Amino acid sequence: MTFGGILPDWFFKLCENTWPGLWFKQSQWMFAIDETFHIMALGMLIGTLVIVDLRLLGFGMRRQSVAQVASYFAPWTLVGVALMIITGVPLFMSEAVRLSKSSPFLFKMIFLFCAVTLHFTLHRKAIASSQGQGSGLGRLAATLSLMCWLGVALAGRAIAFL
Amino acid sequence: MFHLLTFVQWLNDTPISVYLRESDWPFPIIETVHILGLGFSVGTIMWLDLRLLKLAVREVPVADVIEQLEPWAIGGFAVMFISGSLLILSEPLKCYNTVAFRIKVVLLILAALNVLYFHKRVMHNVDQWDQEMPWRAKMVGALSLVLWLGVVIAGRWTAYF
Repeated sequence: MTFGGILPDWFFKLCENTWPGLWFKQSQWMFAIDETFHIMALGMLIGTLVIVDLRLLGFGMRRQSVAQVASYFAPWTLVGVALMIITGVPLFMSEAVRLSKSSPFLFKMIFLFCAVTLHFTLHRKAIASSQGQGSGLGRLAATLSLMCWLGVALAGRAIAFL
Repeated sequence: MFHLLTFVQWLNDTPISVYLRESDWPFPIIETVHILGLGFSVGTIMWLDLRLLKLAVREVPVADVIEQLEPWAIGGFAVMFISGSLLILSEPLKCYNTVAFRIKVVLLILAALNVLYFHKRVMHNVDQWDQEMPWRAKMVGALSLVLWLGVVIAGRWTAYF
């Protein structure tokens, strides 16, 4: 299962031949530089998610309430996601045709969609209804969130190898 | 006299090194674990640093942030260190000859010294930092951010050369 089976070929060719895809494809350094920023944004993003999800599971910053921990890190999670997308889109465009044939890439996007949807629905609800301490809903939301993001990272890494 | 290159060449020829280098799955799996370890260690260390610089999580006492997040940073670092050692073992000669990797090792040693300095010389009066953050603590935070940023960049670039 790949994106090539869902979207037409011309779309991927267009991506590779449009700025910034074309620029990244032709430049010797842009891909490597941008991928470095992509990994740094990943560190920042995963860090905030892990801290909030650990708190929902009853680990890490337990002296602060779930709502407090979430409020400190939530804005940074969004900054992390934004940076990931900004740095990720040119990476995709520069090799869109190859990625259209890559199953791991499709799975990465599915996991990403699930993770972001979860973040704004169940996750948010669990934090709002946590009343300071852990709850069954919170543990469920945190476990699902960690699994989705693990899926994003694993599938993302697999793009380079499969 | 001990020659590092001789040792690296010997390591490169050990059966375990050859196995890791020539089989399909170990390298991608270990590298994935390495990146997940990065999420845990650098992902928590940077918040400790940003707290020391008063740029994030300002509402929580410094000692609270350090005590509660440091175990996860150490756990993540252990995962990175073990998986990283296996990655080196899979291609010792290549690492030895890569400039980016040499820079990474130097930066890691500096980061370790920075943490050591923080714990031995700076952290003793952490309870008073919420009134006023000492300049040494801010310096450790800034240095740590820069060094880990460098480690990530040099690590990523090791793969390109």
